[in-house]
Amino acid sequence: MNIELTPQQKALQQEVRDYMKTVMTPELLEEMKNDELKEGGGPEFRKQYARMGADGWIGLSWSKELGGKEMSHLEQYIFTDEVVRSGFAYPFLTTEAVTPVIAANANAEVREEVVGGVKQGKVVIAIGYSEPSAGTDLASLKTRAVKDGDDWIINGQKMWTSLANYADYVWLAARTDPDASKKHKGLTMFLVPTDYEGFSVTPVHTLGVRTNATYYNDVRLPDKYRVGEVNAGWKLITGQLNIERLSLFTHGQVDSLFVDTCKWAAETDAPGGGKVIEQPWVQHNLARVKSGLEVVKLICWKQAWAMDQGPLDMADASMAKVYSSEFFVELYRLLLEVLGSAGTIAAHSPGAVLKGRIEFRWRVGSILTFGGGANEIQRDIIAMAGLWMPRTR
Amino acid sequence: MDFTISEELKSVQQLAAQILGDFTEVDKLKAVEAQEERFDPALWQALAEAGLLGLDIEEAHGGMGMGFFSLTTLCEEVGRCVAPVPVVPVLVGAAGVLRRFGTDAQKDQWLPGIANGSHRVSSALEEYGNENPQAPAATAQKEDGGYAISGTKVCVVGASSATRVLLSAKNDEELLVALIDPQAAGVTLNPQLVTSGETRFELVLDNVQVPAGDIVATGGAAREAMNWAQQATQTALAATAVGLSDKMMRITGSYTSEREQFDRAIATFQAVSHRVADCYIDVECLRLVTQQAASLIDQGRPAGDAVTMAKIWCGDVAHRVSQAAQHCHGGTGVDRDYPLFRYCLMARQIELEAGNSARMTGLLGEQIAAEYLSATG
Repeated sequence: MNIELTPQQKALQQEVRDYMKTVMTPELLEEMKNDELKEGGGPEFRKQYARMGADGWIGLSWSKELGGKEMSHLEQYIFTDEVVRSGFAYPFLTTEAVTPVIAANANAEVREEVVGGVKQGKVVIAIGYSEPSAGTDLASLKTRAVKDGDDWIINGQKMWTSLANYADYVWLAARTDPDASKKHKGLTMFLVPTDYEGFSVTPVHTLGVRTNATYYNDVRLPDKYRVGEVNAGWKLITGQLNIERLSLFTHGQVDSLFVDTCKWAAETDAPGGGKVIEQPWVQHNLARVKSGLEVVKLICWKQAWAMDQGPLDMADASMAKVYSSEFFVELYRLLLEVLGSAGTIAAHSPGAVLKGRIEFRWRVGSILTFGGGANEIQRDIIAMAGLWMPRTR
Repeated sequence: MDFTISEELKSVQQLAAQILGDFTEVDKLKAVEAQEERFDPALWQALAEAGLLGLDIEEAHGGMGMGFFSLTTLCEEVGRCVAPVPVVPVLVGAAGVLRRFGTDAQKDQWLPGIANGSHRVSSALEEYGNENPQAPAATAQKEDGGYAISGTKVCVVGASSATRVLLSAKNDEELLVALIDPQAAGVTLNPQLVTSGETRFELVLDNVQVPAGDIVATGGAAREAMNWAQQATQTALAATAVGLSDKMMRITGSYTSEREQFDRAIATFQAVSHRVADCYIDVECLRLVTQQAASLIDQGRPAGDAVTMAKIWCGDVAHRVSQAAQHCHGGTGVDRDYPLFRYCLMARQIELEAGNSARMTGLLGEQIAAEYLSATG
């Protein structure tokens, strides 16, 4: 039992931190002021993403056969943590969640095209799971894929297809057997190139960032873009959900908000004399953040370490998601309270405190508790898998 | 970075679980609790014979020399069985301090007997309104051949049956740590019944003569000793709370899976299962911060903030899980014929002693402010 980073791990952390400073160029920061390009997709984003590929930073955990470095999950986490901390819109779901599944299940030609493209930082993949009437109950999705000769004809609509406005492919879950005995048994996974005829995108503006609705109108897709066996898509979806959650709730992104708030409070005069941080209520908020944040750090480390030992325990993965998502929301509040009314001034408006970073996170943070698997479902999983309690109904 | 529990430590854990389980069947606990002191000498002796009292005592003094982390493993198992043994005040607050800060003669005199169970040395780290043993109100006057100590310590565990009690006092501005014989002239022990159901003691010292041989440390060494004692005690209590809370949660998971109302197990109501799931989250959070604090102390690394955070989580989790467990049990949870109540009361005891969540949060906030104010100069 030794819960500290080794000197080598600390060195990796510093190396990534330094490298990411060179990725976050003034041009990129300027580009990201546009809400449409905040989540990537602009020319400078493309340039820096490709540079990360050329410099060998993409796919650290992949096998050597795929051109990866076979780094441990812990080292991969250290990388992820620092990249998120930097603010770069790195497409984690593409690189960490979807691409390994494609590498393991796609045919050789598509594997070369897609995995090779991701490795070079040239390919971004959007996730096409949710639909207007299939959210938490994902297996009830209706988008259809029907075999027509050697092709598939796809019809349907997806919701919340983030990044689809600039992604190269959509990783699409479609129904191939409408009569399956159980609804999750009739699903198959496809990659849909976004330049194919019949594919279209409309924006959905949320409280913070742009996401999309995507439409599939008689999209004719060659069978090579089917990934995995027909009607065996559910396992490919669920197999990477835990990995998805691990890249959503990292420590560095919120730790940097805490550190910056502490610095601000130590430099800023309080109305009654002294500094803001000298007031007991401020200290109380900061202490609550620190003691909660410490657990986020330990959960992340333990999960990454556990993934190097074997499959991640289901209850522990759900525990991490519920705790982190609910604590993040609480943390934004506790830090904003310290900043006071000026904390509500949005980025790029005059007087914005800490560049409006916490304001933005606070405004959009409500997504955390339902996105990536609603917390109610996670608590069901904890009760069943962690405590052997009967299924709720 | 390694969360692995070594094979050696797993054996310790299994051995402790087995012995503690054998001695804490409900009838045995009831018999112990009918006595004046909530202490089972037979269990203590069994732990001694298995080597478990000497986990953190060096081999030269009859121990196993496995270090502080292994001792917190024992504390967790004691919590899991709510066993009537004073491991924290004796093995952490007294033996842990003597091992690290005592004189060679004191180690020779006290540690082998603690490890083999022949005598117990307890510790008294708290006073009325003062949980900081580095700043006691108790006073010590230098005299020929030793000191005369006066003052009052509260809620002392096992004071009536201990051979010595380790405590601190101030000689003007200088701190000193001493071993007091509770049978010595000038010592009064007043029984105090506390929430956990234990009888503890108010220890009143009126000009008690302490020979030089029973002075453990003075000055800087004494401050260091009491800092260690406080951090180690808080961490050991947090480890005990991990065992208590984990068990309360599992009892509740089982009970609600069997208890039927409206023709169905109440665990099939999400309102119930989610409350137990929240306990699962809380227990894992507490386990992580406690392991971190214990591991840092074990390695002799700075542990101040980690311990403070562990005790904050300890207070919060002990409180929330004990309340949820009793709530989900309904009346059964407060029935003294059902085992849950013991866990809940002990959890509430640990929640409030040796630094509660509010005080520790205030302390952590002061530390954060000091750190960032000094950085900005």
